[in-house]
Amino acid sequence: MRTAIIDGVYEIMKKNKNSYFLTGDLGYNTLEKIEKDFGNRFINIGVAEQNMIGIASGLALTGKKVFCYSIIPFLTMRCFEQIRNDICYHDLDVTLLGSGSGLTYGILGSTHFALEDLAILRPLPNMTIFSPADEIDAQLGVRASKNFHHPLYIRIDLREKAKIHKQPYDFKFGKGVVIQKGKDIAVFVNGTLIDEVIKATQIVKDQLKLTTTIVDIHTIKPIDKDAIINEAKDKKIVFIVEEHGKIGGLGSAVSEIVSEFCPETKVVRIGTEDKFIKIVGTRTFLRKQLGLDTKGIVKRILEFF
Amino acid sequence: MNSLDLNKNSHEIRKLMLESLRPKESHHIGCSFSIVDILTYLYFKELKVDPKNPKSKNRDIFLLSKGHAGLALYATLCQKGFFPQELMKTYDQDGFHMPEHASTMVPGIELSTGSLGHALPVGIGFATSFKNDNKKNRIFVLLSDGELDEGSNWEGFMFAGHHHLDNLTVIIDKNGLQGYAETKKVLDLSPLKKKIESFGWEVKKCDGHDFGSLKTVFKQRQSLNKPRMIIAKTIKGKGVPYFEGRFDSHYKSVDEKTKQEILNKFIKL
Repeated sequence: MRTAIIDGVYEIMKKNKNSYFLTGDLGYNTLEKIEKDFGNRFINIGVAEQNMIGIASGLALTGKKVFCYSIIPFLTMRCFEQIRNDICYHDLDVTLLGSGSGLTYGILGSTHFALEDLAILRPLPNMTIFSPADEIDAQLGVRASKNFHHPLYIRIDLREKAKIHKQPYDFKFGKGVVIQKGKDIAVFVNGTLIDEVIKATQIVKDQLKLTTTIVDIHTIKPIDKDAIINEAKDKKIVFIVEEHGKIGGLGSAVSEIVSEFCPETKVVRIGTEDKFIKIVGTRTFLRKQLGLDTKGIVKRILEFF
Repeated sequence: MNSLDLNKNSHEIRKLMLESLRPKESHHIGCSFSIVDILTYLYFKELKVDPKNPKSKNRDIFLLSKGHAGLALYATLCQKGFFPQELMKTYDQDGFHMPEHASTMVPGIELSTGSLGHALPVGIGFATSFKNDNKKNRIFVLLSDGELDEGSNWEGFMFAGHHHLDNLTVIIDKNGLQGYAETKKVLDLSPLKKKIESFGWEVKKCDGHDFGSLKTVFKQRQSLNKPRMIIAKTIKGKGVPYFEGRFDSHYKSVDEKTKQEILNKFIKL
C-alpha cells in the first residue's frame, strides 16, 4: 500500500511542478524515485518533525502543494501543535503521509504504534483523515488528493497483499463504501482489519445464520453520517472494529452519530484498550492477543447473541 | 525617510497602542513596546510591502513569531496604512477579529502566531520556496529571546544554515526578560552570537531602539550563502517610563486613570 501511495504522489508531483515532498529522514528504499526525479522539490528535513511541519506550512503559504512523510507518531504527535496552528488554522494544502497504521510495526513496540493518531487529529478543524483498506482505496485517495487543497492525513498500512476492492470505484473523501450487505448486524471498519471482519462475519453467518453489512469508513473525518445512519437505524446492534484505541477513533466517531440519530441501536466498539501494549510480538501475534483477529472479533460479536 | 520621520512614526505607533489598551483586561505590554522601533524600522525603511496591495507577489514577508506582541504589529500596520485607525478600536473587543495574538484576520499579517517557536520554520518554508523559484522576496522573522528556549527554533537554525538560506533574516528582540524571570536566570542563551554563528549564520548586534544602529546592521550586505541573525538589544516596555525595564509589564492591565495619565504625558512628548 505504501508503494501505491508513493507512486500516486509521484504522478502528482510529475505533473504539478508546484509540489514538494518533505521527509523526516525516513523512507529509505521507498522515496528514492521522488528524490531522484524532482531535485530540490524533495527535501530531507532531518530528524526534526516540528521544523518539517513548519517548513511545509511556509511552502504551502507560497502556493505549493506539500507532502510530508514520516512514521505516524513522529509525524502527528511530536509536532501536533504545528499541525494545529500552522497547517489547520491556516487551512493549508499539506498532506501528511503517516506510515505504520495501528500495530503495523509489531515488534518495534509502543513508540511506533499508531493507536491514538485518529483521536488527536479528529478534533482539528479543516483536517481530513483518510485510512485506506487496500491498494485500490489508497490509489483512489491519493488520486483524489490531486485536486484537494486542504489539510489531509493519510494513514498508511504496510500491507501489500489482500485486496478488498476488485477494481476502482466512485471514490470520494467522506463517502463510506458498503463492502457487503446483511440484515442483522452492521460493522463499521477502516484499514486492513477489514479482512478479519469479512472472515469473522462469514463465521457468524455460518454459526448463527445472521447476516452482516460491512461499511468501509475510509474517511474518518469528515465522516459519512448518512451511511452510518442508514445502516444503523434498522439494526439492533452495530460494531466498530479498528486498529486504534477505543478512545477517540472511528469507534467514538460512529458512536457519536448513532447515539444521536439512532438511539435504539446498541453500539459496541472493538479496538485496543486504554493501556500501553507491553507484550512484544509481531502484528499478527498482537492482533490475536488483543482480540483483533478473526477469532477475537467473532467471539466479541457472539457475546451479544 | 530620515530618523526624525522614523521617530515620529514610532511615537504614533506607541500612542495607538496605548489608546487601544482595554482597562479591565490584561495585555502583553512590555514585550510589545520593546519591538516598536524594530517594527518601525522594518516597515518604514526595510520591507518591500505595499499597504494598498498586501498580497503583492514580490513583497517581502514579515512573520512575528512572538505573537503575543500582536498589538505592536497591528499598530505598525495601521500606521503604515494597511487599514484605517478605526479598526484599531476593535482590538481585543468582543465580537470583532483583532485578537491579542497576531492574527491573519488583520490585513497585512502573514501568519497567525501565539504559541512560541512556530514562525521560524514557517519562514524557512517561505525562504526555501522563493529561493528554489529564483524569486527575490526576502523573509524577516522576529523572535523574542525567551522564545529561543523552544527546540523548534534550533531545528530551524540548523536547517537554514545547512541550506544557505541567504534570503532569511531573524531578528531577536533581546529584552532579557521572559515569562517568569530574567532570561539569563531561566536558560542562559549566551554566547548567543557564537552559538548561532557556529550553525553557519551571519550574526550582527545592534541597539533595537536606535534607528542609526538598526540602519547600520540592516544596510550591511548579507553574506551570500548565509542566513542572517540580528540581535537587537531592547528594553522591555520601551518608550513608557511606567513600563520600561519592568518585569511585570510583560502581561498586565492598566486602569483607565493610569492609562489617561500615561497618554497625557506621552502625547505631550
